[in-house]
Amino acid sequence: MRRRLSQVQQTHDTTIYVSEPRMADSGSEEAAVIENPEVAPEEVQQDIGGTGDGSSLLKKMEISVSEAEKRTGKNTMNMQETYTVYLIETRSVEALNEGQSPAPDTLWRRYSEFELLRNYLLVTYSYIVVPPLPEKRAEFVWHKLSADNMDPDFVERRRIGLENFLLRISAHSVLSKDNIFYLFLTQENGWKDVVYDTGFQAKADSRLKALNATFRVKNPEKRFTELKHYSDELQSVISHLLRVRARVADRLYGVYKVHGNYGRVFSEWSAIEKEMGDGLQSAGHHMDAYAASVDDILEEEEHYADQLKEYLFYSEALRAVCRKHELLQYELEVTALDLVSKKQQREELATGTVRTFSLKGMTSKLFGQETPEQREAKLKVLEEQITEGEEFVKSKTLECEEYVQNSWIDIERFKEQKNQDLKEALISYAVMQISMCKKGIQVWTNAKECFSKM
Amino acid sequence: MSVGTPKSLPTSGQKSINDISHPLSYEEGVLTPSPELPNTSSIGEKDLSLPNGTPVDTSSPASSSSLLNRLQLDDDLDGETRDLFVTVDDPKKHVSTMETYITYRVNTKTTRAEFDLPEYSVRRRYQDFDWLRNKLEETQPTHLIPPLPEKFVVKGVVDRFSEEFVETRRKALDKFLKRIADHPVLSFNDHFNVFLSAKDLSSYKKQGLALLSKMGESVKYVTGGYKLRCRPVEFAAMGEYLDTFVLKLGTIDRIAQRIIKEQAEYLVELREYGPIYLSWANAEDDELQKPLEGVAGCVSSCSTALEELTEDMSEDFLPVLREYVLYIESMKNVLKKRDQVQAEYEAKLEAAALKREERQAVPTDVEKCQDRVECFNADLKADWDRWQNNKRQDFRQLLIGMADKNIQYYEKCLASWESIIPLLQDKPDAKGESHS
Repeated sequence: MRRRLSQVQQTHDTTIYVSEPRMADSGSEEAAVIENPEVAPEEVQQDIGGTGDGSSLLKKMEISVSEAEKRTGKNTMNMQETYTVYLIETRSVEALNEGQSPAPDTLWRRYSEFELLRNYLLVTYSYIVVPPLPEKRAEFVWHKLSADNMDPDFVERRRIGLENFLLRISAHSVLSKDNIFYLFLTQENGWKDVVYDTGFQAKADSRLKALNATFRVKNPEKRFTELKHYSDELQSVISHLLRVRARVADRLYGVYKVHGNYGRVFSEWSAIEKEMGDGLQSAGHHMDAYAASVDDILEEEEHYADQLKEYLFYSEALRAVCRKHELLQYELEVTALDLVSKKQQREELATGTVRTFSLKGMTSKLFGQETPEQREAKLKVLEEQITEGEEFVKSKTLECEEYVQNSWIDIERFKEQKNQDLKEALISYAVMQISMCKKGIQVWTNAKECFSKM
Repeated sequence: MSVGTPKSLPTSGQKSINDISHPLSYEEGVLTPSPELPNTSSIGEKDLSLPNGTPVDTSSPASSSSLLNRLQLDDDLDGETRDLFVTVDDPKKHVSTMETYITYRVNTKTTRAEFDLPEYSVRRRYQDFDWLRNKLEETQPTHLIPPLPEKFVVKGVVDRFSEEFVETRRKALDKFLKRIADHPVLSFNDHFNVFLSAKDLSSYKKQGLALLSKMGESVKYVTGGYKLRCRPVEFAAMGEYLDTFVLKLGTIDRIAQRIIKEQAEYLVELREYGPIYLSWANAEDDELQKPLEGVAGCVSSCSTALEELTEDMSEDFLPVLREYVLYIESMKNVLKKRDQVQAEYEAKLEAAALKREERQAVPTDVEKCQDRVECFNADLKADWDRWQNNKRQDFRQLLIGMADKNIQYYEKCLASWESIIPLLQDKPDAKGESHS
């Protein structure tokens, strides 16, 4: 049964400032300012990154991940492996609206290619909360579910998750315009090379660098600190919820299945009864039906779990945005500090006073002062460095500010999306519970009728 | 003709008892015509005595002839024909230096002449019920005596004085007395009368022993050694039925216990599950906070409903199953006794047949045995039919009860989840307006 994870909303931009477009293949430094929220993104004059006609089609493109297939092949270590590929279908919405039903364009992608796409987007659009992929390995499994990646149910749920991933990107005002994304959907062969050629991997911040920044940053924006805290909480609470939900599912399964034993014993019992026989026998059938009904109930609940999982992974994406901010802020602070120290050095050199301890100061004390020529030379170097430093601080500050502004726009968009999606998930969960209760009432009412005929 | 009777049983010039509809036999909707009993008179003339030697008082209303008039034997028919009502209630704890125990109030309302007063209210403890049951088994060995709840609490974990345990026991004791009160023979038993009416039961108990010894005959049965040649099909069928039935009951008991266990474990998880939504609500802003709190509330209500369901099943369902297992055990004993009585008769008959010169006059000893057999069979068959009917009703009620409890559980949960749908669908801009 095909199922969409949630209604993927189209969002409109409010304002986006881009000074350094992070597109792989463009060197354009122009700023694109889109003020009017009413304007649909495809009407924007500046096609960010110059991706050509293709990008505007994305809003007018119907995308689906329709099938999954097993393939075998040699991997990079020249070993035989089995993997799953997914069929991506795209169709022009325009053509559909005009009543035509053209055959969709299709290509096959495997999970690792989706991962590559996402990694590219993460690096290239570090200020965007990038939609997450469905889980690589089955986690939070309750015992009846298979943890095997090849299991058809898992593959099916992953197919839905991958489709959702693509839909979320195509609905995003910024990400949807990306050329690599477009090529992912349309160019089967050689796409990987194109991605690698962008050199995005070189731009990725090292883990160590990021961790270092997180610990050492002094003045991150308060909003980001709160957001980081929130994303930690969200991750923790959803993991906990998913873990316990899996246990609840296990127990519920047990309760229902044991009732199936009533079916058998009532049947055996009815064999030795005269008047009670029929009533018992039919009641037994209802008990069997009751026991069997739990399979569908729990399968539906898996969709709820998947919705929660998406936001569990989204919390990581949020964290990534916070980390980037911390990194930029830290770099700014380091640059600023460096500038301050250089200015101090200049002052010391100029006035001859040593206010801070420095090796220079000590050695000059011990070995005598430098010559005025030496001092002049040093001052000149320092001045250059200071000028450079000031420029650097300016650009870093700008970079920081822009990052904060742009990311915050996307964060607000994300918050709204999250609230809406999760509310809908809760509603559908409540509806599932209601349906389960109604089925339970039905079965027991039927059984009661049979008992009263005993 | 003599369906099911062993060929060795003489007809004694009369019809086999199996061909005669017994006055006490109950057939649904069809009441057996009784006045045509050919051997009614002979019953009154014969020196009938129970296998243990206790003479049967045929002049009392309990004799078959007056019993013929008691056509309505089913205990759930209109109360107009019933003239004896018994209830057990009001458990109280008694603390003395020697022991602590519970007494129950036994209330009786009756119009029967056998009772001096129309109403009684006495206090009895479990020991007294146990005594009554033993007395009934002794004095009415051809009848099926209802079971008592278990005497000893096997698991030391169960508190003898907890409300649940006492209530479960009270219900069982109430049922016990009601079953006796509704029995056309047992309800007229003297010991039962005393149990219901006497202020001081303990002195009667002691007296009773003396009375019994006056009667001369011990309560012991025919000491073994007699081998039954051929069990009548009827009674063989009863035995087989009971054997299978008790197995099924055992299975149902195990299933019910398993369900209770699984539900208890399910409950544990639910109790952890609900509050997680609350912690999540704390991290969120208003739009998600209310829905999450709502879900937490629903899970909590469902947990409570589940707890109630499990408790009910434990208190109401399992004890009845166990009671029936005990019932069946005592019934099988009665069947065994019946076999013994028949075996003794057959043996004596054979012995008598060997003395060929006394063929004309059947020795009274053998005749007595034959009557015993016939009486036993009649009583047993009547009780069996009544037991089958009661069993059907008891189990119908029990299973309907189980279905009802589950329906109520789901209805509670349904109401809870339905109540938050409007809350979940509330739009933030609609704050202040009433939700749909």
